[in-house]
Amino acid sequence: MASEMKTPLTVQGLCKNYPAFQLKDVSFSLVPGTITGFIGRNGAGKTTTINSMLSFIRPDAGEISFFGLDYPENDREIKEKIGFVSAGMTYYTRKKLKAITAVTRMFYPGWDDTAYRKWMSAFGLDEEKTPAELSNGMKIKYALALALSHGAELLILDEPTSGLDPVSREELVEVFLKLKDEGKTVFFSTHITSDLEKCADRILFLQQGELKADDTLEDFRDAWRIAECGNEIPSALQEAACGRCRSRDGYTALIRKENAASFETREATLEEIMIHLEKEAEEA
Amino acid sequence: MKLLMKEWKLCIHPTAYIMLLCAALILVPGYPYGVSCFYMGLAIFFICLTARENHDATYTLMLPVSRGNAVKGRILFCTLLEVIDLVVMSLFVLIKYAIGTTPNPAGLDAGLALIGSGMIIFAIFNMIFFPVYYKDINKPGKAFGFAAAAVFLWIIIETAATYAVPFFRDVLDQPDPRNMSDKALFTLAGLALFLAGTARSLQMSTKNFEEVNLTL
Repeated sequence: MASEMKTPLTVQGLCKNYPAFQLKDVSFSLVPGTITGFIGRNGAGKTTTINSMLSFIRPDAGEISFFGLDYPENDREIKEKIGFVSAGMTYYTRKKLKAITAVTRMFYPGWDDTAYRKWMSAFGLDEEKTPAELSNGMKIKYALALALSHGAELLILDEPTSGLDPVSREELVEVFLKLKDEGKTVFFSTHITSDLEKCADRILFLQQGELKADDTLEDFRDAWRIAECGNEIPSALQEAACGRCRSRDGYTALIRKENAASFETREATLEEIMIHLEKEAEEA
Repeated sequence: MKLLMKEWKLCIHPTAYIMLLCAALILVPGYPYGVSCFYMGLAIFFICLTARENHDATYTLMLPVSRGNAVKGRILFCTLLEVIDLVVMSLFVLIKYAIGTTPNPAGLDAGLALIGSGMIIFAIFNMIFFPVYYKDINKPGKAFGFAAAAVFLWIIIETAATYAVPFFRDVLDQPDPRNMSDKALFTLAGLALFLAGTARSLQMSTKNFEEVNLTL
């Protein structure tokens, strides 16, 4: 249980250069027992960050450690404590779940069959089925059941709610909250920010390969205000705004809280913050 | 052992079993018997293709397994299939002798030297296929293309040698039990090449896979 006290994940100075994209000096760490939302538009570098963290791709620079252990040097020990779930990734689609489980359990000395039965039952999963017969939400749940049965303390989820209907997404969010209640740490990349409004403790915002924010959900949202205006944006508001978007009734502008006193504003949602900041980055 | 079990339970393609039976081609008169080894190479290609379609690399690398061991698991499993193929070939050689063998005009006769030649074929295949494959596991077809070309080149050279090179024509391409000591030496040389080539392939493949960025 000592690992629960240690920082589940620390990323320091992560860089990866591609001809058309750069991941620039990404650094953050996760707080044990929390849900961290990793947000950014498609192509912002979320998956590149996760793939670099897990050494699927080789970063050009940076240090990764899980539970205080350097990665990938201690990969065997670390992988027994983490679980990775990706929405677009389905393993061995034509094999029965029981066959995949039988192989998976061989590799984990700490495999807990009771926990496996518990999670399979809780998720309503039938071992006689193949992944090809499961809905996208059920595939994610099966991957979670495997990770939780080998005692993963940190769950890294890449776009787990992408492509799911609202009800399935809500079910998964409830699962994440339950995992948090059990002391697990969840790192959750998504561009569906409304899911994070329901469950995240912290937010990491990645934009064009750069980490632009690392804050609690409340503080991240509290730093911004939305001003709604008609079809013309007043010049004072133009100057203060960090991104403008069309809306049904005219325009909305994102303003830093400290600049918002002289305007009529309301609280901003995560989605509004992300969209406005992306608009600003596009225009810059 | 766990990785071998994983390969067998999750990754093997059904054609591997069928290709093992292609060793029965040894019973066909006038056939280049080395081609039956090529069919096992084809089965290995299918295994790697199936692995790609099933995101096997991601699954394996999320297990408490290093990249090096993931490579070792796959190559040892495929080498095991090749060894089984050689054993099945040997059985069909014995069956052919039991029912009465005839000289083979299309390459080496069925016999001890053919098994040595099979080891050389697998050594060539392993030395080319796996290092190229582990440079980009999403392109097993490219690796197979290079390896198959080299294997067929060897089969063509060997077949020509059974007409043009005295050692092949007068010593190796003769029915057993003639020239058994020379054939045994040839087969031992094939075994040495098979072992050394596979070991070198493992070394190069591991190095290549350590450096590669996986496109998931």
